[in-house]
Amino acid sequence: MNLPSFILKNALRNKRRALLSVLSVAMSLFLLVTLQVALRELTNPINDEGSSLRIIVRNKVSLAQPLPARQLQTIDRIPGIVAVTPFSFYGGLYKGDEKFTSFAQFAVDPQRSLPLISDAKGVTKEQLEAWIADRTSCILGKMTADRYGLKVGDRMQFTGQIYPCDLELKIAGIYYGTADDRNLMFHQKYLDELLGNPGTVGTWWLLAASIAEAPLVTDRINKAFANTSAEVRAESERAFVLGFVSMWANIKTLISGISIVVVFALILVTVSTMSMAIRERFRELAILKAIGFKRRELFVLILAESFGLAMFGALLGAGGAWALFNNINIQKMTNGMFLMFEVTPQMLGLAFAVAALLGLLSALLPMINVARTSVVQGLKTLD
Amino acid sequence: MSANIVTIRNLSKIYQQGDINVTALDNISLDIASGEFLALMGPSGSGKSTLLHIIAGIDRPTNGECRVQDIDVAKLNESQLADWRNQNVGFVFQTFNLIPVLTAYENVELPLLLTRMNRAERRKQVEIALEIVGLADRAKHLPKQLSGGQEQRVAIARALVTDPALVVADEPTGNLDSHSAQEVLGVLRTLSRDAGKTVIMVTHDPKAAAFGSRQIHLEKGELSK
Repeated sequence: MNLPSFILKNALRNKRRALLSVLSVAMSLFLLVTLQVALRELTNPINDEGSSLRIIVRNKVSLAQPLPARQLQTIDRIPGIVAVTPFSFYGGLYKGDEKFTSFAQFAVDPQRSLPLISDAKGVTKEQLEAWIADRTSCILGKMTADRYGLKVGDRMQFTGQIYPCDLELKIAGIYYGTADDRNLMFHQKYLDELLGNPGTVGTWWLLAASIAEAPLVTDRINKAFANTSAEVRAESERAFVLGFVSMWANIKTLISGISIVVVFALILVTVSTMSMAIRERFRELAILKAIGFKRRELFVLILAESFGLAMFGALLGAGGAWALFNNINIQKMTNGMFLMFEVTPQMLGLAFAVAALLGLLSALLPMINVARTSVVQGLKTLD
Repeated sequence: MSANIVTIRNLSKIYQQGDINVTALDNISLDIASGEFLALMGPSGSGKSTLLHIIAGIDRPTNGECRVQDIDVAKLNESQLADWRNQNVGFVFQTFNLIPVLTAYENVELPLLLTRMNRAERRKQVEIALEIVGLADRAKHLPKQLSGGQEQRVAIARALVTDPALVVADEPTGNLDSHSAQEVLGVLRTLSRDAGKTVIMVTHDPKAAAFGSRQIHLEKGELSK
């Protein structure tokens, strides 16, 4: 026998309690990691090179305020822009039987939007031409097509939630390979027609010539419409998404709050369990003291035991989350709500740090008690 | 009888219980010779366990001096005391106090984990100690697989394994039937008589005390005989 094997035997002396302690740590850390991943996925903007080149122009007052369609002529004259298209969020309910909009539908100018969706794969030249030619057609992201079992040529009906009109669209092509393969794009002209040509668009979506040019373009656009009846805010797609995310502040606070509560509850439960486990062995610790174990050696025994259990729990919980989320199709499981569900090294680090803190705190109280209690008191307490 | 291993002079122990001072030992002076088997007797609350604890270095006197092998035990700090106990004192308790998850062998080996002995040296010492108490064949048994008498003999082996000069036993037969008690007392007497260990045993059982080479009585914290 050696000290590590002695520690292991002590830790496993009550196997059921050890198992439950480890599982409580594991489950809590699994939940913590899952919440962290969900928070990251909900708040992490697209961060590829294209998102820096793509610029969204919206009404300065509010995203909900439309922009005049006549602004297009002005934008077309601004240097540094490769392409620009109307980009209006339709936000309809598919088939009319959904409770909420589960994928976005955007009205665009198909011809003008082609450079902006150049990373889309799977749509043939003929299909693109068909989309451009037929104002009631659309192109659809593969994730949504797979979800509803749709194919090219199928028709989709939408009930308007924002605009007072319903849509019926024919699928001209199905794309994949973009940052978000859930969206549907259809003709702005078709929307205008259904609305009686109001002469407005939701936003403008444009492509800067280069990353260096992008901030200059946003500046030029903002200045171009300053002091007009429809002032705009132009910003990169990434900044736009971040602005959108900032509206989720309460959800972020909620998830962060739940995470803190989980960790706190975990600490209380584990500290209580570990303290109980040590308290039950006060006599044994007194005996160990009597036969020559020093305080620091007893501290090591206690700390190693609680630390070991907490770390094993972290290995199961955080490691299990990592293994699980790496091996499941989160897009399919969440019906496309989450595109990715990545456990980052930082999240694993956080989980193990929490476990380490837990091990330390769990050992603290028993260690103080052991330090304060003499051999005689230890023997008397339980005799 | 050889030189004194324990020399106690004017030893007192006063416990504070709230506002009340309770005198457990009152001005005790006592010499214990090396190799002696001393039976410390007295009624409950007479201070016999307190005296044993002070001699064994797990409690400290309020006044007076307790020298064991010429070392004033009360003057050692906690860490020095722990080392001193490990090397010089073997403990036997009424309730055996074996670690339930360790085998008899591992329980006996426990004090040796604090020494510089390697695994082979430890094995040799443990086997000798188990042989002395007649439990070599039970080395792999857990405490719950042993009888009370056997558990106490394992505890004695644990007390012996570091080859201490002093073995202290606090009511070692208190939880045993008469047959097992006889066995345990026989082992303690053998330790004193054949191995030259000094054994100090607290008991209130005159039959157990009869195994000792000397008996002393404590009454209300004072030596009465």
